[in-house]
Amino acid sequence: MLSILTEAAVGSFNSIKQIAFIVIPLMIVMEILKDLGILDKIARLFSPLVKIYDMKEESGFPLVIGIVIGLSYGAGMIIQSAQEDKLPRRDLYLLTYFLVAAHAVFEDTAIFVAFGVNGMLLFITRLIVAALFTYLASRWMKPESPFLENEVNN
Amino acid sequence: MQNKCTWLDTLKRGFMSGLKITWELSKIMVPVYFIVTILKHTPIINWISEGFAPLMGYLGLPGEAAIVLVMGNLVNLYAAIGAIASLNLTLKEISILAIMLSFCHSLLVETALAKKIGLSAINVIAVRVGLAVVSGIAFNLFL
Repeated sequence: MLSILTEAAVGSFNSIKQIAFIVIPLMIVMEILKDLGILDKIARLFSPLVKIYDMKEESGFPLVIGIVIGLSYGAGMIIQSAQEDKLPRRDLYLLTYFLVAAHAVFEDTAIFVAFGVNGMLLFITRLIVAALFTYLASRWMKPESPFLENEVNN
Repeated sequence: MQNKCTWLDTLKRGFMSGLKITWELSKIMVPVYFIVTILKHTPIINWISEGFAPLMGYLGLPGEAAIVLVMGNLVNLYAAIGAIASLNLTLKEISILAIMLSFCHSLLVETALAKKIGLSAINVIAVRVGLAVVSGIAFNLFL
């Protein structure tokens, strides 16, 4: 029994060390990008892309922030921008579809990279699949879709 | 001088937020690592392994990898990481699990968030599980 516990203690410690070596530098870089306002610039740069989905340009900003930072923060921001920028319900759904498939992409990818997984492959696959899926949803969910009417009461 | 201070603040905040993630991760990962390591020394792991082998086989995964998917979806990614670390999996198997978990994890908490925005839970879960399964099969075929 003792050898099993030692195995678990040593093993988990080593894994945490590996993850810390990747996550801590990553978060420092993210903080620098945030403080220099680069994150906002990136978000503004990419936000017009949501026009592909027939979404309002204002919806792009919370989308990019959610992709980079994460869903809990992203969801708060979506709700806030929904109120401030009067985002249509359709935009909210499409945003959420994209974000449930791809959020906190750097952080999530980093913890797998610690185990030797190809981070670039994970990152690109996740973004492309989320983008394609959202595109399909945007074609299917016409602005006057009856699906939207049904969901409005929620 | 002022400038230098803000730089230091930025570095400190980044370091602390990385440390916080590592800490949050440890709190969940360590117990899971212990549980799975202990399981590995009992017959239970063989039951799980054999029970899930047919299903997991479609994804190119051994039966015991089901523990990873269950942990990742019911708890969160950190629990899944704990299970991955304690099981002896190949890099390909970890990659398949990584892409599946990227699309689909923490279903309890995150579905609640999506519901807040107004999407139905079944809708969101179906999309995420679907993306996970398809991407898992694709990674198994092409990696």
